[in-house]
Amino acid sequence: MPSETLIQSKNLIKKYGDFPAVNGVDFEVKTGECFGFLGPNGAGKSTLMKMIYCFSPRTSGNLTVFGMDPDKKAPEIKNRLGVAAQSDNLDEEITVAQNLEIYGRYFGLAPSPLREKIAELLKFMALETRADSKVDDLSGGMKRRLVIARALLNDPDLIILDEPTTGLDPQVRHLIWAKLRDLKKQGVTLLLTTHYMEEAQQLCDRLLVIDKGKVLVQGKPADLVKKHLKPFVMELPSSSKLPKGALMRNVRVESHEDRFFLYSASPSALEKIAEASKKDFQIRPTGLEDLFLKLTGRDLHESE
Amino acid sequence: MFFFAVPLCLCGERGFELTLESSKTSVRHVPGYFQRLVSVWMRHYVVYTNEIWTNAFPTLFEPLIFIMAVGWGLAAAVGNIGGFDYLTFITPAQIMMSAVYTSAFETSYGTYFRLEVDHHYDSMVATPVGPTEVFWGELLFTGTKGVFYSAIMLGVLSFFHVLHSPLALLVPLVGFFTAIAFGSLGFFANRLVKNISQFNYFVSGVISPLILFSGTLFPIEKLPAVLQAMAYVLPLYHFVHLSRMLTTGVIAPDLPVSLVYVLIVPFILGFFAVRCMKPKLIK
Repeated sequence: MPSETLIQSKNLIKKYGDFPAVNGVDFEVKTGECFGFLGPNGAGKSTLMKMIYCFSPRTSGNLTVFGMDPDKKAPEIKNRLGVAAQSDNLDEEITVAQNLEIYGRYFGLAPSPLREKIAELLKFMALETRADSKVDDLSGGMKRRLVIARALLNDPDLIILDEPTTGLDPQVRHLIWAKLRDLKKQGVTLLLTTHYMEEAQQLCDRLLVIDKGKVLVQGKPADLVKKHLKPFVMELPSSSKLPKGALMRNVRVESHEDRFFLYSASPSALEKIAEASKKDFQIRPTGLEDLFLKLTGRDLHESE
Repeated sequence: MFFFAVPLCLCGERGFELTLESSKTSVRHVPGYFQRLVSVWMRHYVVYTNEIWTNAFPTLFEPLIFIMAVGWGLAAAVGNIGGFDYLTFITPAQIMMSAVYTSAFETSYGTYFRLEVDHHYDSMVATPVGPTEVFWGELLFTGTKGVFYSAIMLGVLSFFHVLHSPLALLVPLVGFFTAIAFGSLGFFANRLVKNISQFNYFVSGVISPLILFSGTLFPIEKLPAVLQAMAYVLPLYHFVHLSRMLTTGVIAPDLPVSLVYVLIVPFILGFFAVRCMKPKLIK
């Protein structure tokens, strides 16, 4: 598959009044990849998403989606997008099938191919027995699957998922991840925001970490972890007495609330420190979550 | 179908267009403006008719109760107005009020809910549908409800010997324009409120006075000259006035004024109302 550029953003800025929600963002999304936006609450992820699906006009900078300008070609762009927003925003009082029929009409789909498509998607999302149920009667996981099925009605070239599995139980999360990987195999490009690092690790080929409207890093998840962190981390209670001197050489220590986080290239070095401190310890390979916390800080990001 | 013609030319039609960007299968057709508008209307139609009696009953109940109480109780005491009994006088006003209530509530509380609570419009504008189609679709559906309610009221009232001309059959059409006008006022209110309880100001401060001082329960000639002039300009008077001509068959000399007002003002209001709602959706 040729890796055509689907989304291109250069020095993208979005201001609400004086507040810059997105402040000079550069990135590219290529055909067939899964690209992730990671960031704490209020970092600008959702704003960035909304600008891509023509929901939020940019203040300045360049943005093209499928080579088109969202300010000028909104219907054309949106015709090729599938959007599963953060809130479910389904029509609760009508049936699953009716929801999809209504949505299909927004894309101008003709009744009979639309009915076939609906049957196919309900099967794909394991909802085929619920076609005539009222949405109100569905569980949270079913509603989420329906929202994703709805985003697939128009055979989109790009699917935008804003926190696709927030608030769902592990079974449903894994089902949704499997379905999203399935779509990727079919050549669909995915763009998702999440603050579940496991989700990003499971799905994303490339990602960017954004905070306060600015991109902190971007690249492949494994490369980013390798570049910014030592390969192992140990957590200790902060009541531990850390040894001094040679043992602590090449170990980076972070302290937060009631924990110490010790980073090192060698697990055996960490073990020695743990033995010296005589406390329960846990050594594990560093991952995206550690990177994320290192970049965005361990303090709470409460929206003001 | 003529319903759709006017808003189309007011807000600038997007032609039927084909996109040439390649897609997986074939050249993909982008639905045109009219098709998108109809798809929004269809959404409201499906959702609304799903529970039509629950939705319709309260709006119809109030004017009907009112006409019984006032008609039987008050009519005897009031005597004739303009050669007709009081019940005949207030009949067209009651029909228009059903259109006013359904539209003003739909586009104030209802729209607020879809916009701020359900985020339902967000899902619509993630498709080729844009904010203009969302809000015009809503207004046109409100207009359709105006026709529906006026027709039911007309049907019920036909048993009360208060319709004196076959022209009365045209009253539901006036209901369409009334609903567009008051639906637009609901949009303006939406732009102004900070939370849902502030719609109380809209209902008590705008809708109720308009209902009371627009030649509904008494002729505006009884009002002081200033209020009379205001009533003549503000929405509702002409809708009631025109409906009264239709139910009584007595054509007033200012028919052309009322006709032009009824046909044009709702769409001017709608044009500005849709424009002022857009920033609520596209931020």
